[in-house]
Amino acid sequence: MGWGDRLAKVYIALIILFIYLPVFFMIALSFKSGAKISFPIEGLTWDWYIKPPTGYEYSAYISILHDNNFFTALNNSLFVSILTALLTCLLVTTTALALRKRIVGRDLLFYLFILGFIVPGVALGLGVAFMFRLFGIESSLLAVAAVLTVYTVPFGLILMMSRFDPDLATYEYAASVLKASPLNVFRRITLPLIIFEVISAAIIGFLLSWGEVIRTQFVMKGTGTLATYIKNELSINPITPKWFAAGTLIAIIAFIGLAIFAYIMSRRVR
Amino acid sequence: MSIPQLKMGVLDRVSKYSRYLLLLPGFVLLLLFLLIPLSMIVSISFFERFTLAGPENFTLSNYVTFFTSPQMSTILLNTFGMSLIACLIAFLLGYPMAYFLVFRVKSTRARFFVVSLLLVPFLIDWSIRVVAWLPILGESGIVNYSLMSLGVIKEPLELLFGRSALLIIWPQTYLLWMIFPSYLALTRIDPDIINAAKVLKAPPHRVFFDITFRLSLPGVVMGFIFVFVSTLGDYITPALWAGGIQTLGLSVANYAANFVWPYAAALSTILVVIALLVLYVLLKVVDIKKLVY
Amino acid sequence: MGKALETRDLVKWYGKEVLALNKVTFDIDSGDFFVIVGPSGCGKSTLLKIIAGILDYDSGKLYINGMDMKNVPPYKRDVSMMLETYALFPHMNVFDNVAFGLRMLGKNKSEIEKEVKEALKLVGLAGLEKRMPLELSGGQRQRVALARALVINPSILLLDEPLSHVDYRLQRKLMEDLKEIHRKVGNTFILTTHVQEHALSLADTVMVMNTGVIEQIGKPEEVYNNPATVFAARFVGEINLFSAQIKSWDGELCYLNTDIGELKANPKNKNTLSSGDKVAYAIRPERVKIGEEAKLYENKIEAKLVSYYYFGHYMEYVFQTGGNAKIKVSVPTEKVGNLTLGSTYLLGWSAKDALLIEKPCMIEGLDIEEVIYGK
Repeated sequence: MGWGDRLAKVYIALIILFIYLPVFFMIALSFKSGAKISFPIEGLTWDWYIKPPTGYEYSAYISILHDNNFFTALNNSLFVSILTALLTCLLVTTTALALRKRIVGRDLLFYLFILGFIVPGVALGLGVAFMFRLFGIESSLLAVAAVLTVYTVPFGLILMMSRFDPDLATYEYAASVLKASPLNVFRRITLPLIIFEVISAAIIGFLLSWGEVIRTQFVMKGTGTLATYIKNELSINPITPKWFAAGTLIAIIAFIGLAIFAYIMSRRVR
Repeated sequence: MSIPQLKMGVLDRVSKYSRYLLLLPGFVLLLLFLLIPLSMIVSISFFERFTLAGPENFTLSNYVTFFTSPQMSTILLNTFGMSLIACLIAFLLGYPMAYFLVFRVKSTRARFFVVSLLLVPFLIDWSIRVVAWLPILGESGIVNYSLMSLGVIKEPLELLFGRSALLIIWPQTYLLWMIFPSYLALTRIDPDIINAAKVLKAPPHRVFFDITFRLSLPGVVMGFIFVFVSTLGDYITPALWAGGIQTLGLSVANYAANFVWPYAAALSTILVVIALLVLYVLLKVVDIKKLVY
Repeated sequence: MGKALETRDLVKWYGKEVLALNKVTFDIDSGDFFVIVGPSGCGKSTLLKIIAGILDYDSGKLYINGMDMKNVPPYKRDVSMMLETYALFPHMNVFDNVAFGLRMLGKNKSEIEKEVKEALKLVGLAGLEKRMPLELSGGQRQRVALARALVINPSILLLDEPLSHVDYRLQRKLMEDLKEIHRKVGNTFILTTHVQEHALSLADTVMVMNTGVIEQIGKPEEVYNNPATVFAARFVGEINLFSAQIKSWDGELCYLNTDIGELKANPKNKNTLSSGDKVAYAIRPERVKIGEEAKLYENKIEAKLVSYYYFGHYMEYVFQTGGNAKIKVSVPTEKVGNLTLGSTYLLGWSAKDALLIEKPCMIEGLDIEEVIYGK
């Protein structure tokens, strides 16, 4: 192994550490006792980091489990994210298949879809709020999912289009020469060949909508999704271990949800 | 291959218009939740009031007010400058990561493992992730504690406040937006092209700058666009963690919260125009379509 | 004449399973046109990449112009290479592609301009400087790749399958050009191909490779006339092969039992052969005569004509013997007689033209019959 490989390994480890550092602290702080986490914690010593066990308990988890709003928000989040995931993979697949070969206005359409991401979140959020106000529409979770889908589709589209097998059309042609009906060609040739990208698009939709605050905040009324609920709570209340416990719980729930989703998706199509 | 049917794929033999039919669902969504809202912002920005009955009194005063206001240059500078620096930091951290993943991690399983690891934090709530930086970068966090005990500084640095907060939180939040497209672009480079440069007497740094980096530019540009517009539209980080650093995004949110709709719309329009301008300039440099077809 | 390249026991593994090069040892003289021929997967591309330095070897030695190349990066080697995929830089036009190597060498602008012009003229692409690779035809791309590798004037030019992705006419044209360019510049050329005709007609020296080992090195006519192994014989030119056992000797003349009956041979490698040895009995198709002419020779056999192939300047007949073996016979078109399918004819050839090959191939542990009837 050359020095280059070693440097690469160290760098990758550092970046992962950089990304995971707050995660470790989140988990550690979720087991902290007391209602309030004040900074500095137990004075300016290293002790706090080195010998945590004293005063650690599960009270933060108990208090978050008694928060009804948390569960409302969780419900909303799951609904919005799963719906966004489904919408994203459906729209990405149809659009990518349509844009695969040169058609009139392909570039324009491609950029139009990319625009869904380019328009700054706060501007789009405001625009949707205007639209609802002008037409007298009540905001709903469905609307949130639709707004988030506009934002997630470009990511899925870029991934799927850049990963298309250049020979996809050739395989389809071969199958149709062998007397497969168009529906069968799609089911037996096209879909199995792009299934990885289809599932990826769904996962992208789920992940991006799960953490989105800016657009959701503008369109949503009431408790909102987990991301907006916690953001609002944290911006008015002191930081307590309860929220770190919430963060840990959310991560576990989302992880399980995502795993089940990916599993069902891959089973469904096979 | 000059067989026309081969080029068309199966869809076209069902119907000439099937492609356009396939585009329909996506287009309807764009129309309802992108194009109409966008045109509403732009049109309302030219009115004095926006009541439940609709916009009233055409005027240019919203724009005139903004461009003659004393804070205009500060706001624009904050908006542009902070986003741009955040992009640069994300690039400097993220591009080597993508590069090493593609060219130095040889086993596909290891690569898949690392990419999955990168995705997990997405599952954790964004606000909590930001707050969890406090024990590290907060007033009494590890960094300040170490620097003070080493005698480098007397007073704790306000790392998680003001501009530096943006420059820490934004790159951290949007790092993946840079890694992902760069990674995609790098995997699309034919290894033989790099080999060709090597045998044509290019030393390692020339191979990198003349070939590898150059060919991954569409991905890098895409990453810049991702991070830039994400930070441009983010009003929460400036409001919540940066102690109200005035950016265009935050101004939009503030005026909207106070129901000054037309002015918020004008600021949003300016924001959209900035995003499009940056996009246009970057597209002049590199064709991001190369990333996808 | 000095040595441009020397290798000693080069070994290359891909992972733990695939042995791409198994102790490869050979020399190449300066100024040689050296052609490595072998089926795909025989390790010829691997070898070229190792010489160029874009691939590492596991053990052994590699010398270029007498210098050990261990840990010498590609840009410090006096070598350039034309890759099989051409690998033109997609973001540079023809001029910049060809100028790339010169710029890396730090030449000044006017020199670069002059040399690129010359190189493009040499490969017949003058005037296309401004074109982008995507706007070129396959043959033009190949020429750009050639010019690009050639222009830095390395002492060794490596050409990996340069003839394999273009049509027949372009192949012929490029072969002529390569030979002429080689004569003009006088550098060492190392070319790989999986097509035997290219090897025979281009090379000063041919090396036949088979899954990581060298089967034979020699002048094209040497390899053609005296193949060292059955594998080399099969790979270079058409040949009829029969599994045989030496029965007895009558002075120079050797009697053998073969699948198609008793045959005689007058082998050059007499000293190494003795009665009872299993060998391959080989005869080139153009040495076999048909009908009246056949009666003059020591080896005679009756066979039925089952098919024929017309190749323009010669005709190839396929006969079937009583023992169900096939014999190919090639006849110059102007000497073709009136033969009818299904009829039986007398075939004959001189014992002097027959070859007795002892080794199946250089890979250990293979039975001679396996190799003869392998494919």
